Amino acid sequence: MTALAATTARPLRQPVEAPRRHLEVAPSRAQRRARPRLLPALVTIGGIGVILLVQLLLSIVLADGAYQISGLQSAKHDAVLQQHALSEQLDLLASPQHLAANAEALGMVASGSALYLDAKTGAVTGTGTAAGGSLLGAGDQVGNVLLGGTALVTVKASGTGMTTSTTDSTGGTQAPTDTGTGGTGQAPQTPGLLPSPTTH
Amino acid sequence: MTSLRMSRRRLSLTVIAVFAIMVVFVIRLVDIQLVQASELTKLADAHRMQTVTTYGTRGDIVDSNGVVLADSVDRFDITASPRNVSAEGFDRRNKDGSTTKISLSDAIGEIADLTGADPQALKTALTQDPASDFVYLVKAVKLAVFDKVKALRIPWVYSEPHPARSYPDGAVAGNLVGFIGTDGPLAGTELKQDSCLAGTNGSSRYETSADGVRLPGSTVVTKAATDGGTITLTIDANLQWFAQQALAQQAQATGSDWGTAMVVRVGDGHIMADADYPSIDPNDLNSVPSDSTGARSFSSPYEPGSIMKPATVAGLVDKGLVTATTPVDVPGRFTDGLPKGSYIKDSFPHGDMHMTVAGVIMNSSNIGIAELTKLESEKDRYANLRAFGFGSPTTVGFLGEGHGALANPDAVDSITTVTQQFGQGMSATSAQVASMYQALGNDGKKVPLTLIQSCTAAGGTVSYPNSGPTTQVVSPSTARQVREMMEMVTTQGYLRNVISIPGYRTASKTGTAQVADASGSYGNDYIVSVAGLIPADKPQYAVIVTLAKPDTIKTSAAAAPAYTTIMKQVIKTFRIQPSTTPAPSIPVAW
Repeated sequence: MTALAATTARPLRQPVEAPRRHLEVAPSRAQRRARPRLLPALVTIGGIGVILLVQLLLSIVLADGAYQISGLQSAKHDAVLQQHALSEQLDLLASPQHLAANAEALGMVASGSALYLDAKTGAVTGTGTAAGGSLLGAGDQVGNVLLGGTALVTVKASGTGMTTSTTDSTGGTQAPTDTGTGGTGQAPQTPGLLPSPTTH
Repeated sequence: MTSLRMSRRRLSLTVIAVFAIMVVFVIRLVDIQLVQASELTKLADAHRMQTVTTYGTRGDIVDSNGVVLADSVDRFDITASPRNVSAEGFDRRNKDGSTTKISLSDAIGEIADLTGADPQALKTALTQDPASDFVYLVKAVKLAVFDKVKALRIPWVYSEPHPARSYPDGAVAGNLVGFIGTDGPLAGTELKQDSCLAGTNGSSRYETSADGVRLPGSTVVTKAATDGGTITLTIDANLQWFAQQALAQQAQATGSDWGTAMVVRVGDGHIMADADYPSIDPNDLNSVPSDSTGARSFSSPYEPGSIMKPATVAGLVDKGLVTATTPVDVPGRFTDGLPKGSYIKDSFPHGDMHMTVAGVIMNSSNIGIAELTKLESEKDRYANLRAFGFGSPTTVGFLGEGHGALANPDAVDSITTVTQQFGQGMSATSAQVASMYQALGNDGKKVPLTLIQSCTAAGGTVSYPNSGPTTQVVSPSTARQVREMMEMVTTQGYLRNVISIPGYRTASKTGTAQVADASGSYGNDYIVSVAGLIPADKPQYAVIVTLAKPDTIKTSAAAAPAYTTIMKQVIKTFRIQPSTTPAPSIPVAW
C-alpha cells in the first residue's frame, strides 16, 4: 500500500461522537473565597455614598461658617473704624481750646496761686492770691479749625440741666437746645450757678 | 499566520498612535504648565483676583502725658464707575422688598447733600467720559458721611480708603509738630522724625465671583503692612496751650511782629513748652503767613542783648576773677580799646557810677560788662560763650534750626569782641538762650536740650534719640552766685513789680536789644526778652519770653507780663512749692 492508498482507502464515515457530559470546574477553596460577596459591596457603596453626603453637608456648613466669619470680620472692621472715628472726636473735644472755652462758658476762672499745708507741722506756706480771672480774655488765640461748630456746654439759667449750644466758626452762639441730661434735683436759686452735690 | 501578523501590526499602530497622542498631550501640558504658566496665571488672576492696598498707619505724635497732637484718621474717597451709570437712573430696593425709581439727578443730589459737593461738578465727573470705569466724586469724607453715602445703595458708587492726618489740638504745638502735604511730611517733627512715624503699605489679594462678589476666606496677604511708631515729645500740651495763649495776648497787646516763649526743665533739659506767635494750625496751612509755619525759637537767631550778661559774668566768676560784690567803676561812656569815635553806652544816661558786679547785672549795664571784659582775654571770653552753647545749634536739631553767630575774636573788630559779651553784634536763638539758663539753673551742668523724648515702634520697642554729652560749663558755686545776682533783678530791678511772684524766689534777667535793619545799622526796633529760673534757690524750670519789634513798649517791659504769667502757670502745672528762705540781699553799689 502506497501512502496514497493508505490515505484514500480510509472508509468515509462519520465519526460517531459520544454525547458530551456537562462538566464544571469545581472551584477551589481559594476561588470560592475570592468570589464577590453582595453584602460587603453594598456596605462599601453605601459607605461611599454616606461619605459623599457628609462631605457635602460639611462643605455646606463650612461655606456657611466662612460667610459668617467674613461677615464678622467685616463687622469688626466697621467697629474699628467706628472706634477710630469716636476717639478722633474725643481727642478733639479734649483739646485745650475746647476745654478752656467750655470752662469759661460755665463761668469758671483760673485759680490764684496755691497754698501748701504741711501735714506734719500744720504750717501753711505760700502766698494766696485772688483768682486769676479769664484765661481767654480777648478770645482764644490758639486756633483750631476742627472745632468750628462744636457744641459748648452751658448752664441753663432756670435749672440744673446741662444744655449745649452750638458755636459757629465766628464765635457766635446759637440758641441753646436742651439735651435732656438735666438732673431731678432742685433748681439753684442763682442763675448761672454750677449744679453741685450738697456735702457735709 | 496572516491574521496574527495583521493583529500585531494593528497593535503596534495603536501603540504608536497612543504614544503620539501622549506626546502631543505632554507637549501641550509642558506648554501650559511651564512655558505659558506665568502668563496664564496672570490672565486667570486678572479675572478672579482683586488686589487691594492695605495701609500701614502713620504713628501718632503725642505729648509727654500721651495727649495726641497728631493722629492718623480714616477718610474715604467716594468713587464711581461712569460706565455703569445709566441715564434712566436705577431701581433702589427698599427694606420691604419694593423698589423705588431713582433718577440720575436725584442720585447726584443725594450725594451732594451728604457730602457738600457741588452737584454740577459731580455730574460733569460722571458724564465727561462715559466709557471710563473710575472717577473720584468726593475725596476724604469722614466715616459718618461715608456710611450715609453707602446707605444710598447707588449701584455705580464705590469707595476707597484715604488715610489722612488730623491735629486734634489745632495750633497747640503746631509749630513743633509740623504738618503733612499731599505727598508727605513737609515740616517740623512730622518731617524730621518721618523714619519713626512712617508706616509701610502692604497689599493683599482676594478672589471674586463672576459678579464681583468677594469670596470669603480667599484673602491672601501678599505683603503685610507695618504701622509707624509713636513719637513722644517732651512738651506738656496744656502748658503749651497756656504759653501760646499768654504769648499771643501779650504780643498783640504790644503790637509785636512775632514772639517765642520756652519752658525748659533744668534737670534734664526737656522742653516743656515752646510757644510761637504767630503759631500755625496744622489743620489749616493758610492760618499763618508762610514765614511763620515753623518754630522761630529754633529757626530765627536774633541779637539777644542783655539776657546774655549772666553768661559773661559766670565765666568771670568761674575763673575767680570777680565775685558778686567786686566793685566796678562804671563811667558814662566806655571807649577803652575801641576805634577812635566809637563808644559803648548804657540804656540810661549816667555819670560815673560805682556798681558791684551784682549791680552791673541788676542795672543791666553795658559799660559795666565792657569794663569787666578787660579782666579776661578775648579768647577766654569767646570760649566761655561757646561753652554755654552759643555759635552752634542745640542738640534738638530742629528742622531749619539756626546756629546763630558768635564771632571768633581773630576774625572780628575790637568793638564786637566787647559787645557780643552783652548780646549785641552776635546772634542766638531762643533755644540757645534757654539752654544757657538751663545750665545756670542746673548748677553749671549743661544738659542737651531735648524735644523728642522717644520713638515707640509699633511692636513696642522704645528708642531714645542720642542727644549728646552733658558738660559742666561752670562750677555749681559759680552758678549759684550768678543766680543770686539775677535774683536782684527780680527784687530790685526796674521790672520788680511785674516779674516778682509772691512766695517764690525767682532769678531773672531782661534784655532789650536793638535790631539791625537791612543796611546793618541799628534803628528804632527792638527785640525784647525776659528769661529766668524758678525757684531761684533750687531751680526746676527755666522760662524765656521774647517779643520782636513791639510797637507800644520798646523795652523788656513788653515781654515781662507774659513771662510772669507763664511762670505762674509753671508753678501751678508742676506744683512748685513756695520758697522757704528769703532772697539774698547783695549790695549793688559801693
